[in-house]
Amino acid sequence: MMRGTIMFVWLNILIKTGLKQRLYRGMVVSVLFFTSWLLLACSPQHNDHIRFALQSMPVTLDPRFSTDAAASRINRLLFQRLVGFDDNFQVIPELADWQQIDLQHYRFHLIKPEREFHHGRRLNAEDVAATYNFIRDPANASPHRSSLDVIERIDVIDEDTIDFYLSEADVLFATRLGIAILPAELIASNHNFREQPIGSGEFEFIGMPSPTLLQLRRLADGQRFDFVHVPNPTTRVLKLVNGEIDMMQNDISPELVAYLERHSGINVMRSRGSNFTYLGLNLQSRLLKDPLVRQALAHALNKQEIIKYLFQHSARPANTVLSDDHWAGNGELEDYDYNPQRAKALLKQAGYNADKPLELSYKTSNDPFRIRLATVMQSQFEAVGIRIDIQSYDWGTFYGDIKAGRFQLYSLSWVGIKSPDIFRYVFHSRAIPPEGANRGRYVSHQVDNLIEAAALEQDIDAQAGFYKQIQSIVHRDLPYIPLWYEDHVYISRDNIRGYSMSVDGSYDGLKTVTVQ
Amino acid sequence: MFNYFISRILSALIVVLGVSCLVFFFIHLIPGDPVEVMLGESAQPADREALRHALGLDQPVLTQLGLYFSNLLQFDLGDSLHSKQAISSMLWERIPATVELALAGLLVALALAFPLGIVAALKHDTAWDHSAMTVSLLGVSIPNFWMGPLLILVFSIGLGWLPVSGRDEPTSIILPALTLGSAMAAILSRMIRSTLLEVLGEDYIRTARAKGLSAYQVVLRHALRNAMLPIITLIGLQLGTLLGGAVITEIVFSWPGVGQLTIEAIQKRDYPVLQACILLISVSYVVVNTLTDLVYGALDPRVRLSES
Repeated sequence: MMRGTIMFVWLNILIKTGLKQRLYRGMVVSVLFFTSWLLLACSPQHNDHIRFALQSMPVTLDPRFSTDAAASRINRLLFQRLVGFDDNFQVIPELADWQQIDLQHYRFHLIKPEREFHHGRRLNAEDVAATYNFIRDPANASPHRSSLDVIERIDVIDEDTIDFYLSEADVLFATRLGIAILPAELIASNHNFREQPIGSGEFEFIGMPSPTLLQLRRLADGQRFDFVHVPNPTTRVLKLVNGEIDMMQNDISPELVAYLERHSGINVMRSRGSNFTYLGLNLQSRLLKDPLVRQALAHALNKQEIIKYLFQHSARPANTVLSDDHWAGNGELEDYDYNPQRAKALLKQAGYNADKPLELSYKTSNDPFRIRLATVMQSQFEAVGIRIDIQSYDWGTFYGDIKAGRFQLYSLSWVGIKSPDIFRYVFHSRAIPPEGANRGRYVSHQVDNLIEAAALEQDIDAQAGFYKQIQSIVHRDLPYIPLWYEDHVYISRDNIRGYSMSVDGSYDGLKTVTVQ
Repeated sequence: MFNYFISRILSALIVVLGVSCLVFFFIHLIPGDPVEVMLGESAQPADREALRHALGLDQPVLTQLGLYFSNLLQFDLGDSLHSKQAISSMLWERIPATVELALAGLLVALALAFPLGIVAALKHDTAWDHSAMTVSLLGVSIPNFWMGPLLILVFSIGLGWLPVSGRDEPTSIILPALTLGSAMAAILSRMIRSTLLEVLGEDYIRTARAKGLSAYQVVLRHALRNAMLPIITLIGLQLGTLLGGAVITEIVFSWPGVGQLTIEAIQKRDYPVLQACILLISVSYVVVNTLTDLVYGALDPRVRLSES
């Protein structure tokens, strides 16, 4: 009724005034036009589907090529894998159980009864072989190929049994089989999984009607989920407050979380995360080669203060890559305490003083939170006489510089670490980029030998012992300064219930979530 | 007029050709290796070389440039390094949103700029003039990344009239269009005011007034028509900018346009997508400016005569 009246008044004035009337009337018409335009607008309609906001859309839904976090989380809903991980990051059966026949021979047996592909066929061993063979083929340029280099041959024994033959012993082999399984006949027919993913997971793909909207359906009850791309964190928060989205997880600054916690009708949950943030040091830098300087940097940082004020308690201090609830983690390491006096003494011992201060550059991305973090660290280092020059770059340039070794200090996080094989990738002397991610150019033959020994060890406790030793040595040598594990934060409107958070930040909680 | 038209089109083609070359070479200067982006840090050197060969990246740069132009002539922009999607389809998904926002922003700008500029010129050096120019100064001074959230707070959170962001409802375009349009209106209204003030001092305006025409008839029939040439140029330039993707506005309002795609391509080092986006932005500028020149020629015979 109101809309009709407004339109009538507006049209009436438009007709009466005409183009030849005075400009003042034209202005009144303009004002009325905009007012009616705004009044005609209404609040967004509420649908029964659940809307989940994403900072980044999955780059591709084809699990053979996806590497980004958003895709891996969505793909966990659409597809199933041979193995999964428990809360202590121990590898556990998902689709299949396994036995190690000998050092270079693993047999997997499909045991999960619920494994129907969304197009109606039952997942079998041929699908497993086809998926892994596709990834192993160099012609297909899959980014996952290098993690499966160790596979020499795959044999299908029967419909539910498959053998993997390795070129060398690899006790962590089962941890490498977390890749989503696709239907063999669709792989053969070059099906476009990017636009039409067909898996055997608990959710099926409905469509992607626009580049910013992805729709899935939960098979158990038909509940529809809309994943909406909202890149700006402030806009994401305002959409949640306005009821345009129902939930989101992570990728939001602590102060925005605090704002939402004060807002009625919004539910905020936190859980311990395993994403590890560290201060990277370039050991090829003349200044940072000196262990006294590295120790001084470690003692100059007040992590507790940063966690308290900057993260608003949404993080916990870290001593090593693997958190203490990881089966191979080392909870016995003692943190480098905040001790400015000790830091100053170490610097003096290393030959630095007020007349000859230590000057370092710190590279970071142009993310506002990371820049703020850099400035806080800069002031803490300044307090002990270390001058820091902060250089922020767009992500691509920053990351390129880090990999190329063009840095002295930088800060980054390791996300989704599950396997202790990370130590080979990050600390082995043969893993210096481009061969791996030993970005600090750390070389320790003791660590190399322990990594090799752990890779051959069959007993899980003995393996854990090797990894604990590696972490002790790295902690002593300080090729990087461990900072903290950031918590996972889940935020929803009050009417969303039943979401459980996982330690790796996956969206598996959507399997049980409901709208009240 | 025909000669003028042909000369404009030829100039535009030369500019597009030059821009394509520049884009190609500059993209190759950006730090980072597309092969490493595709395969990740842990890839084996042999795999990297194989992919480099498959993508033709092991060829000399001039050979690659030739291949690039040959594909471009067939409207083949290649595939995204990350999603493997055809870039032309990625652009087609985004262009309607960008054009829609650009036109809506332009509409808002024109609706605000003309009344403000005309009132300011007619009421020169009065409170009306100062108020109009203060409003326009505010519009040009407030950055979009602040104006956007401010409008959201008022119209979405405070009043609950409009959606915060997205492109799901017809009303979704209002706030991004207002954000874009207000900044553009500020520049336009100042230009309208200054050109009108110049024209209003001309003899033919005095004659029109002597004929007994009202102030508004003088402005609308005589002054504004003659003041339009520089205004059209400015509108053309602004529209070219908008068609290239209003990056900040698109990010703030989650508007799925070319600007957002460009930023994503930069962040992910998706070089072919970035190359295509920059080319599209350049072509938008060239096309809009060529059209502006043609309109200019149609409106003012002196322009096409001097050109020919």
